[in-house]
Amino acid sequence: MSDVHLDIQQVDKIYGSGDAAVHAVKGLSMAVRKGEITSLLGSSGCGKTSTLRMIAGFESVSKGIIKLAGRELNNLAPVKRNVAMAFEGYSLYPPLTINDNIAFALKASKLNTKEIASKVSEVAEMLEITDILGRYPSSVSGGQQQRASLGRALVRDADLHLLDEPMGQLEPQLRALLRGRIKHYIKENGLTAILVTHDQAEANALSDRIAVMEGGYLQQFESPQKLKDHPANLFTGTFVGEPPMNVFEASVERDSNSVRFELDNDVCLTYDAADFSTNVIQAALSLKHVVIGVRPYAIKRTSNGIKASVVANHWLGDQSHIAATLAGQSVILVEHDRAPDKSGDEIYIKLDPDNIHLFDRESGAAISHGAELAQ
Amino acid sequence: MSTLELRGVTKRYKKETVVDNVSLTVADGETLVLFGPSGAGKTVLLRLIAGVVDPEEGHIFIDDEDMEGVEAEHRGVGMAFQNFALFPHMNAFDNIASPLTVGKRSRDEVKAGVEQVAKLLKIDHVLHHTPRELSNGQKQRTSLARALAGSPPLLLLDDPLRNVDAKLRFEMRLELPLLLEAQGATVIYVTQDYKEAMALGQRIAVLSEGKIEQIGTTEQIYLSPKTLDIARLFGDPVINLYDVKGKQDTDGVFVELSQQRLSLDDSKAQCIDKDAVLGIRPESIKFVPENTAGSIPVVIEAETPLNEKIVTLALTEGGREMLISRPSGTAGPTAGKAFVTIDQSALLIFDKATGNNFVESTKSDTDREVAA
Amino acid sequence: MEYQSKLETVLRGIALLLVVVFFMFPIFWIFLMSLQTNETILRVPPSINFEPTLSNYRALITGKLETSAASLEINFLRNLWNSVFLSVASVALALLLGVPAAYAFARHKFKGSEDIAFTLLSFRFAPPLLVLLPLSLYFQKMGLADTYLGLIWVYQLICLPLILWIVRGYFEDISPDIEYAYRVAGHSWFSTFRKIALPLAGPGIAAAGLLAFIFAWNNFIFALVLASADKQPVTVGALAFITASGIQYGQIAAAIVMSIAPTLALALYAQKYLVEGLSLGAVKG
Repeated sequence: MSDVHLDIQQVDKIYGSGDAAVHAVKGLSMAVRKGEITSLLGSSGCGKTSTLRMIAGFESVSKGIIKLAGRELNNLAPVKRNVAMAFEGYSLYPPLTINDNIAFALKASKLNTKEIASKVSEVAEMLEITDILGRYPSSVSGGQQQRASLGRALVRDADLHLLDEPMGQLEPQLRALLRGRIKHYIKENGLTAILVTHDQAEANALSDRIAVMEGGYLQQFESPQKLKDHPANLFTGTFVGEPPMNVFEASVERDSNSVRFELDNDVCLTYDAADFSTNVIQAALSLKHVVIGVRPYAIKRTSNGIKASVVANHWLGDQSHIAATLAGQSVILVEHDRAPDKSGDEIYIKLDPDNIHLFDRESGAAISHGAELAQ
Repeated sequence: MSTLELRGVTKRYKKETVVDNVSLTVADGETLVLFGPSGAGKTVLLRLIAGVVDPEEGHIFIDDEDMEGVEAEHRGVGMAFQNFALFPHMNAFDNIASPLTVGKRSRDEVKAGVEQVAKLLKIDHVLHHTPRELSNGQKQRTSLARALAGSPPLLLLDDPLRNVDAKLRFEMRLELPLLLEAQGATVIYVTQDYKEAMALGQRIAVLSEGKIEQIGTTEQIYLSPKTLDIARLFGDPVINLYDVKGKQDTDGVFVELSQQRLSLDDSKAQCIDKDAVLGIRPESIKFVPENTAGSIPVVIEAETPLNEKIVTLALTEGGREMLISRPSGTAGPTAGKAFVTIDQSALLIFDKATGNNFVESTKSDTDREVAA
Repeated sequence: MEYQSKLETVLRGIALLLVVVFFMFPIFWIFLMSLQTNETILRVPPSINFEPTLSNYRALITGKLETSAASLEINFLRNLWNSVFLSVASVALALLLGVPAAYAFARHKFKGSEDIAFTLLSFRFAPPLLVLLPLSLYFQKMGLADTYLGLIWVYQLICLPLILWIVRGYFEDISPDIEYAYRVAGHSWFSTFRKIALPLAGPGIAAAGLLAFIFAWNNFIFALVLASADKQPVTVGALAFITASGIQYGQIAAAIVMSIAPTLALALYAQKYLVEGLSLGAVKG
């Protein structure tokens, strides 16, 4: 690609040496385009923070090359990388007011006082911290400090903006609004941003593409929609999405014109053989044991479906989360209208072949995704 | 099982009143959620009930017995803490056993009791681990197990899911009500996650700055919040709020938003000629393909998907921000100009001066009288 | 990045060596002195070239001090025993009183609690001479002068504030929720103190105890004024070596080596706890 802005090529990070060596990032290759918002998503210890620190220059690159805007970063001091960063721990300068914190990096630039003031007030307004600009970091709440730190990074004109857990401490009432505003701001100003987060909801909300990491490896690097509809493996499938994907272990049988998935407790899902491509059936049969995955919203009710008994029905204002027991384990449905079911009720549901994912039980690798899921 | 009653309970630290004249009753076997933003006084209220902190004023009754002067260890409550508060020098078994070692239980009885509750919470395989060796989820379950051991008739749960990851929180949100129901205990559950509150509570008490703002069922709180603040606290994305003026013509009560007339039913007539705040839930705004009668033109700023919903931030012609939410998988515009319509039956209207809902929810009012 | 040049490593080594020499040299020199006779010690210029002798140690242990003029009876072993007894007993009493007090100050903010705690600490600031004169008069009247009880009592001025302030920091570090959890589980406040607070503050209590022991051991002025020869600890006992016929440097050095050996060993053994306990006290106090 010609428009690659940040290029990470076969990068490894190894801490320590010998027996005590920790291999935190393994053969990571990623290309981020200019103007793109990318998330590094994973639980703690997955390698996302090491990656971020290598890009920022706080850690050396053990192997491989990182390039930004055509320059190789490996041996460049952090200050020379032209990267703006919002730290997870905020790292605001205690003796400076919020205003001066945000304006700090701008003072070194060629902007005059008036331009700096207008830039600061623009981000302050966006982040709703205008009223605390004159205060010191120690006298404002954690959420406000986080917004100030975010403002300090966003206001800069840098080749890359690194945002480390940028919204973890934000007041929940502001979160939805700020997500929208920040995404708009980044796009409007043509910034390239990398978000590091463990919160899949945040990654989904803000990113153009998400890099899911686990165990030091990049699992998948795709758009949020594609990640949801075409997870590369069981890990990505269950990590992304809330409520999480329903999964059932099954063994596969084939009759003359039907495919049967045997679940626990003698529950059997029978599909027309034509519902799956012959390759998929072949692959599933050769594995014998598969995992079926279905997103909660993709489970539909139907009068002639499989029986499941309701355990809980939680109405959350704009969604109903219904938990039911199917084949001895719980299955979750999400409906957008208020569902009337009570605990103990029986419902009949259908796992539509167009909406199910099949995974290899051993390796977790995806075998197929239903036809209705985005191509 | 137990009943619990609070009458005018007040707690001050130095000059600050952290719990302000709180009265409420909790029925036998009921689960009441204490919901509020941080600093609202939820945890203090729970500690007052547990007896580890004493109130300045008011009385607490458990099973109609005044708890004044009754020490914490004699109140017969179980409690789980937000930070788990496990004893770091004891293993999981001894932690869970701590409520069982008082009194004359034999060692076998204690062992049986611990194992039963550990099995229920699926931590029977880690009982010999110290808290340091437990994962976050296991710590959380150990702390719950400790609260449940000894089957206390009154359970106080202080935001027990706060410090576990989203996936585990979701699982526990489903599991916990069943567990609590099986215990048959009366439960006070503190949380600042509105989803947890709505999922777990038979009733929700909304606490703000030490005062109870509203007590009611999930529906009452979400559909007829007493104040603007409560409306903002429930729902993600947050409710849209607009300054408007209540008006009336021959067709009835209405307000105007982006030159569009939004009619209100007669129950909201109190807002006429007053400065008001109109509340529109993001899910009651729908995109329409074209400019039809009654639709409002907007410009889309950004689209941010959120847990089976797609949230869109848009600007109205007057430059006011609008959050719009629609189910995942449904089509909608992603950029540029668009048109929306608003479900007028779901509008909320508040007094700008006081923040109170112009329509007093009658049902939650009777609740208040009962509680008072 | 965390890279260090060779020069840096060398310079750092030299700096460390200088610090070590500065602090350790006196101890090293005393040790050498303890193995010499007065004559070799007083040579000019001093030299480390000498024939080591154990005569100083022999004199201390047998209690016979041979000077050029006469043979003198000294009871250094008695002094050593006094030091051990006074320090251990003082620390034990201070722990008994100080730990519960520290707990009370940490957990219960009552009216004037800060003032009381600070007053106790201020005993450490006051010059001992200030209180010694009136104290010795009182002690004469009360019959406490020249008794172990009296000395242990006065030693509380050293031990109690130290233990109180260090242990208090440790108690404050324990989340109250942990104690609440034990209370709610049905245990009395006393059993909560015993089973939860005490074990969790254990390292802090040990550190404070060790430090108080060292301070008590090193005390000089209280025992000098308030005790006679048979109750005096080693610090005061060493004065006996300043005799009419001159200062017995060799024996003084041997006495010093013998008296610092226990505290030095203890400090080395408990170094880790001491640093932890002290830094915590500093932060919290």
